[in-house]
Amino acid sequence: MLVDLELLLPTPVAVGRSLAALAGTAEFWLSALYTLLRVLMGLAGGVLLGGTLAFLTHFLPWADLLFSPAVRVVRATPVVSFILLVYLWVTRANIPGVIAALMVLPVIWGSVSTGLASVDAQLLEFAHAYRFSRLKTLRLIYLPSLRPHFTGGLLTAFGLAWKSGVAAEVICPPKLAIGSRIQQARLALETPELFAWTLVIIALSLGLEALLRRGLHRKGGAA
Amino acid sequence: MIRVDNVCLSYGEKKVLDHFSLEIPKEGITGFSGPSGCGKTSLLRLLAGLEKPGSGGVTGLGQAAFLFQENRLLPWRTVEQQIFDVLPAARRHEAERWLAFAELEGEGSAYPSALSGGMARRLALARCAALGGEVLLLDEPFAGVDKERAMRLMERLRQLGTPVILVSHETDVLEKCDRVYTFDGIPLRTV
Repeated sequence: MLVDLELLLPTPVAVGRSLAALAGTAEFWLSALYTLLRVLMGLAGGVLLGGTLAFLTHFLPWADLLFSPAVRVVRATPVVSFILLVYLWVTRANIPGVIAALMVLPVIWGSVSTGLASVDAQLLEFAHAYRFSRLKTLRLIYLPSLRPHFTGGLLTAFGLAWKSGVAAEVICPPKLAIGSRIQQARLALETPELFAWTLVIIALSLGLEALLRRGLHRKGGAA
Repeated sequence: MIRVDNVCLSYGEKKVLDHFSLEIPKEGITGFSGPSGCGKTSLLRLLAGLEKPGSGGVTGLGQAAFLFQENRLLPWRTVEQQIFDVLPAARRHEAERWLAFAELEGEGSAYPSALSGGMARRLALARCAALGGEVLLLDEPFAGVDKERAMRLMERLRQLGTPVILVSHETDVLEKCDRVYTFDGIPLRTV
């Protein structure tokens, strides 16, 4: 009876013991490091693509016609469908990064697009009248106006990147990854280890989000 | 001489300038006065090239610097940066001079949100004057500025030597102008 309970809901002591045992292995640290790298690369790719697409769809009507519906489709597609689809085209080790990027892209596109639409028209007219170059207008008007929208979008995207990246690792497990270890723990009915890995994900996500918030706050503080 | 030649300007159905012509000497300080909404600002915006006329045109103006009716300061730039932003790299050393022009010495590191209405207006005026051009086009340059300061600023504008065309409701300001054109209602027509 006690064994059954441990299987369904392990005690904090059992989870702590499992975590301590995991932390003593090199595989634990490498798995966490590789997952972290995949998620961060996916996040960076999604931010770059989403931001670029937002500028394109805002300024070029043909790009808006072409890309906006596609981004909305990406936003509406369930992450599991993407994971299975991407599995057909991309090597296993790259799937989590690609999935994270795909989940981040529409969030960043949406927040940057909203920001671009809300840039003060009077400031843009001022920039034109005061002979600002396009680059100067971008630097002094667009980017500062976008900052609050981008910051909000980035924090949301960061959480999504973690969840979708690890989900992709669970479904298509690469060699070294938190998701793969979660999947192994599940198959071996090692519930305390499954909980331990979940704790690692939460700790990494919260820790990095706090760092991100601090960095964004510091950058935006002067204004 | 600046020539406004047979200009028509409308906002949708509303005619603001109807076959309007005017000649303005390109020297000294010229004032535009008239009741609110009579088309003074539209005329100034037309001179600045910010409005495209339906017909007719403006000649003899060259590149102008325009002071908007609103301050349009960048909320994320300091007072000093607002001046830097309009100066070419070779003239960056002039920033202090323009802060002194607007009597804003010591406020260089402040953000617009920390300025009073009058200070913000003076900063916007200094930024316009710092940008420079063949003519300064100023829409209500002394709104919210106390009378004594406004008179000092008028004198400094005159000392710049650049022709000024300004819109104002204030009698004291108009009295200091070299000439004043008074408009009386929309649409502005040549009489």
